[in-house]
Amino acid sequence: MTFWQKMKGRTQSPPMVSFAEMGWSWLGSFFGMAAIAFLHYRFIDQHSLTLLIGSFGASAVLVYGAVRSPLAQPRNLVGGHILSAFVGVAACQWFGSSLWLAAAIAVSTSIALMHLTKTLHPPGGATALIAVIGGDSIHRLGYFYVLMPTALGAGIILVTALIFNNMIKSRRYPEFWV
Amino acid sequence: MTPSNIACCTTVDLSDADVIAAMKEMEGYIDITPGDFKEVFRIAYIHALRRIMEARTAQDIMTKTVHCLRSDMDLVQAAKFLAEKCFTGAPVINEQGVVVGVLSEKDFLTRMGVDKPTNFMHIVAHCLMNRGCMAMTLKNHVVAEIMSAPPITATPHITVNAISALFVEKEINRLPIVDTDGRPIGFVTRTDLVQSYCTPFGGLT
Repeated sequence: MTFWQKMKGRTQSPPMVSFAEMGWSWLGSFFGMAAIAFLHYRFIDQHSLTLLIGSFGASAVLVYGAVRSPLAQPRNLVGGHILSAFVGVAACQWFGSSLWLAAAIAVSTSIALMHLTKTLHPPGGATALIAVIGGDSIHRLGYFYVLMPTALGAGIILVTALIFNNMIKSRRYPEFWV
Repeated sequence: MTPSNIACCTTVDLSDADVIAAMKEMEGYIDITPGDFKEVFRIAYIHALRRIMEARTAQDIMTKTVHCLRSDMDLVQAAKFLAEKCFTGAPVINEQGVVVGVLSEKDFLTRMGVDKPTNFMHIVAHCLMNRGCMAMTLKNHVVAEIMSAPPITATPHITVNAISALFVEKEINRLPIVDTDGRPIGFVTRTDLVQSYCTPFGGLT
């Protein structure tokens, strides 16, 4: 198969989910993000800390919008975020003199390590990237970034997903733990 | 016939290990759990089977040489005819060649059993107890008197699924396939049907 032939694609997009499923995804992610954002603005922000990082929005897509995906399972959600946060901070500290290099290394290395540990979680890439491009407030956290906001935020998403997804008849979560 | 009915005829039971082995061979990350894949496969298989069975009609599975009995035929002759051909039943036609009934072993047994539903073992028991030959009651009668009529027939375009449903619903074992004038052009038995299920992926148009 030639290079150009491969670009044509070979199959079709999977079907649309039901409207009920869309409704549950909306409701679940609303409450999940509400919980984490409420904690951030009510308690954490007052200490000039952050709990809200962009990658949690991406995690919400998976744990509420694609509940059955392996990428959305607890092992991936928590493992992927923590591992990537660690890689991101390390990349920033070692290669911080040229941020473009640190950013690239953070994301690429976290993808490889998530594969190696079977914790692939796409939002992990964002978590690693934010450790580099998040500015001074994130840089000052150092490796504390791994614990907070990352591990704490991932934990909150996990708990809300466990509660919400299992309250709905047509859903269950997780498919597997480890 | 419901999808689950079809599925139990031919099912491939995948194990998690099979799916994981396939995923390893395919390389690259595949975003589905083995459990979900098995579920997708199981349901898709039922759909495939149903699609194939709906595409297949009586025309594809019927026996095309039909041996018919005449409605005015003597029962002894009819019995001899079925015995020689090793048939358990045959369509019955009238003078115009139109199918007017079906004659099967069941019709003979019912006739011989006078008052209650009879099976072959009933006949054996009766004979062994020296009560005489029950088949004597069949003498001097013709096919039209004991055949199942009106006949349940179908056109060559009836699907295999519909035939299965008909067999179950009407409690019959054979189905004469007739043209628009009611003349026999084929015959579908349970055996034909079973064979069509055993070769779901072969010889399809």
